[in-house]
Amino acid sequence: MTVQTLFAASHHIYLGNAIWYLVIFAILMLLVKHYAWGPVSDMMEKRRQKIIDDLDSAASDRKKAETLANEREAALKDSRQEATKILSDAKENAQKTSSEIVANANTDAASIRKKAEEDAKKAKTEALDAARDQVADISVAIAEKIIAKNLSAEDQKDLVNQFIKGLND
Amino acid sequence: MEKSWVVQFMGLNFDMVGIIGSTLMALAVLFLCIWLSKKVEMKPNKRQNVMEYMLDFTNGIVKDNVEDVDAQKHLSLYAFVLFLFIWFMNQLGMFLEVKVDDWMVIKSPTADPVATMSFAMMTLLLSFTFGVQKFGVGGYLKNYAAPVSFLLPINIIEEFTNFLTLSLRLYGNIYAGEVLLTLIGNRLATSFGLPTMILAAPLAMIWQGFSVFIGSIQAYVFVTLSMVYIGKKVTKE
Repeated sequence: MTVQTLFAASHHIYLGNAIWYLVIFAILMLLVKHYAWGPVSDMMEKRRQKIIDDLDSAASDRKKAETLANEREAALKDSRQEATKILSDAKENAQKTSSEIVANANTDAASIRKKAEEDAKKAKTEALDAARDQVADISVAIAEKIIAKNLSAEDQKDLVNQFIKGLND
Repeated sequence: MEKSWVVQFMGLNFDMVGIIGSTLMALAVLFLCIWLSKKVEMKPNKRQNVMEYMLDFTNGIVKDNVEDVDAQKHLSLYAFVLFLFIWFMNQLGMFLEVKVDDWMVIKSPTADPVATMSFAMMTLLLSFTFGVQKFGVGGYLKNYAAPVSFLLPINIIEEFTNFLTLSLRLYGNIYAGEVLLTLIGNRLATSFGLPTMILAAPLAMIWQGFSVFIGSIQAYVFVTLSMVYIGKKVTKE
């Protein structure tokens, strides 16, 4: 195959065309790069970056939300525990107070009863004493009256002495 | 036989058909891209979606065939522009073939081996550049003898075959498409008057549709193979 047959369709070898194609292709490439390819691929790259950023931020947001939820759950659990503790404490306290109150009341009641008993005893003895004194006085008065009739002066004197002696004792 | 319109300038031959076609299509690619990316926003509008879809498509070709991440970045633009440019040039001859008397004025520039060889040569040189950038001159030359030294002649021959298959595949497909379209339009349609004209119309339509498909596939194949060749140069075997 000779060069002539290879180029049979064109009769001449036009090197000028080859140069022209290369030049026009270079110019076309520069212009397309400046007006179309450059801006569009820049934007595509920017969009790619933005999507990556968005995905990253979404992932971090989800992580944050997850930790927040966990925290909240833990707090809820804590507060529930606290509530039950408070409740049980209160119950315990109430029981303690009530038993204290009951005990106090019991001791108070006991002391009051004791005092009352003592008072009663005292009143009784006082009454008895008073009654005895009165009885003695009355019996003395009666005895005086009886004795005044039978007693001689001497005997009277003895009696008085005896009485005085008794006083002295 | 059609005549081509050749202009001599500074000792070089210029085939005006290819120059007009490629310039028109370069302008088409440029305006399409500018129109599609007039308003570039974070939330893409419809035009930007189309643009981004095409970019994703060519980036996918690059990523599938070039493992080197650094080279991927540089090749993204190359693959994008190359794909669109070749696709447009492939399609040009499908819907617009202007002939003044016997002089071709507009047809697919890629139905001409010079055009496809220019692009294949560009890819080849680019692959050399990337290989040398990656491994240095010594390392790059050593890769010709890899993985075993007796593959050296085969690896060198491969450069030529890569270049030829890359360019001639595209040229052959588009040229054949245009030849068949011309045959249907010029020979079949005019051979027996009205009946063949009626017969030729749907045939031409079918073949045009098929050619659009072929043009797209060939643009895709060209870019893919370019990336394969470049990718091979920047990865150690």
